[in-house]
Amino acid sequence: MQAYLNAPIKEVISKFPKVADILNGYEIGCVPCSVGTCLLKDVVAIHNIGEENKAQLMYEVEKAIYPDREVKRPVINKAAKAKPEILRYSPPLRMLVNEHLLIKRLLNCVPAIVKALKEDTVIDKEPVIGAVDFIRMYADKFHHAKEEDILFKYFDEKADIIQAMLNDHVEGRSHVKEVLNGLKDNKIDAVSQHLSAYAELLTGHIKKEDEILYPWMDKNLTVKQVGELFDKFNAVDNGLQRGVEETYKGRIEDLEAKFIQK
Amino acid sequence: MSKECECPGAKMQDFGKEEVKGAEEGKRASQLRQWPVQLHLVSPEAPYFQKADVLLSADCVAYSAGDFHKDYMKGKTIAIACPKLDEGQETYIEKITSLIDDAKINTLTVMTMEVPCCGGLVSIAQKGLQAAKRKIPVKSIVIGIRGGNVLSEEWIS
Repeated sequence: MQAYLNAPIKEVISKFPKVADILNGYEIGCVPCSVGTCLLKDVVAIHNIGEENKAQLMYEVEKAIYPDREVKRPVINKAAKAKPEILRYSPPLRMLVNEHLLIKRLLNCVPAIVKALKEDTVIDKEPVIGAVDFIRMYADKFHHAKEEDILFKYFDEKADIIQAMLNDHVEGRSHVKEVLNGLKDNKIDAVSQHLSAYAELLTGHIKKEDEILYPWMDKNLTVKQVGELFDKFNAVDNGLQRGVEETYKGRIEDLEAKFIQK
Repeated sequence: MSKECECPGAKMQDFGKEEVKGAEEGKRASQLRQWPVQLHLVSPEAPYFQKADVLLSADCVAYSAGDFHKDYMKGKTIAIACPKLDEGQETYIEKITSLIDDAKINTLTVMTMEVPCCGGLVSIAQKGLQAAKRKIPVKSIVIGIRGGNVLSEEWIS
């Protein structure tokens, strides 16, 4: 079992497909992950499912890998599988979670923007240009910069979980570049495809950060580091053009008024 | 006063017959790096407060948490107070504000006991933070009377 605990999760799932179902049952979304190199033991450790659920999950995984082996079933307190733990973040990570809220509001507008691109007889590129500007200035420069230039440096950047997040950032930027190319070349299908792909990618990415990465980081940051991060994040916010939060909140409200609140 | 009305902070409890488990060998060094420690006596101008991680502890906490020095004091600058019995608590609030704005402390950790009267120390810290121009992360840790275990630990700012 030790060998499988230290094996990449994608390798374990391909040998024992039932492990994927077990992980899905605990809402651990490793199956669609493009990297899949996180070790099984790290996958279990990093997710916020509580100690008793972890013991039960490991029991089920071991039975899936060794169906004929006698494995001791853990004693479960029924209340352990009740309400999931309410996530509370340290102040700097709460800043990032709050920024996710505005990004999610943009992502919520994307299906309607794409629908309009496909159905309207006169193509209005302005909403797409506005969405791209928000993505580049707010999601990337304002938010992801805090993660890549500051937060991730407090951890081993080669760690699989950090690499998975960085890969998502790179893939997201690639989609945005293709959206701009599509706008320039009047290839509306390409614009729709890459905007939709970006929305899907970021939705999963934000869920992973809010529910897995940030709580794990909070458990591993010292009080001193939390203070340093808070100070550095505030310095970034204060260093940018004054009112960037309000400016882009206004842009999202305009998009929502046009596409959501009809 | 009837027993039902007794303040939990002052209610007599005897743990004497309970077996105490824990390693007793060896000697731990003190983690105290300053003097004084009482909140009325400390000065925000003191060098050990500048950009420090500060631990604001209720008086009784250190007697309950067995590893107080090792687990909580280490690496921090400390101030102690009693939110129930100390006078001049407005001065406490001003001092917290000065620690945040003038000493530019990095973080504030407030440690209290589980009894209701201790919650006043968290309130003092929050009022000091509200009055400050700078904002910093503030954490609250609540310690149990029996065994000194951590009952809650959360960021409150």
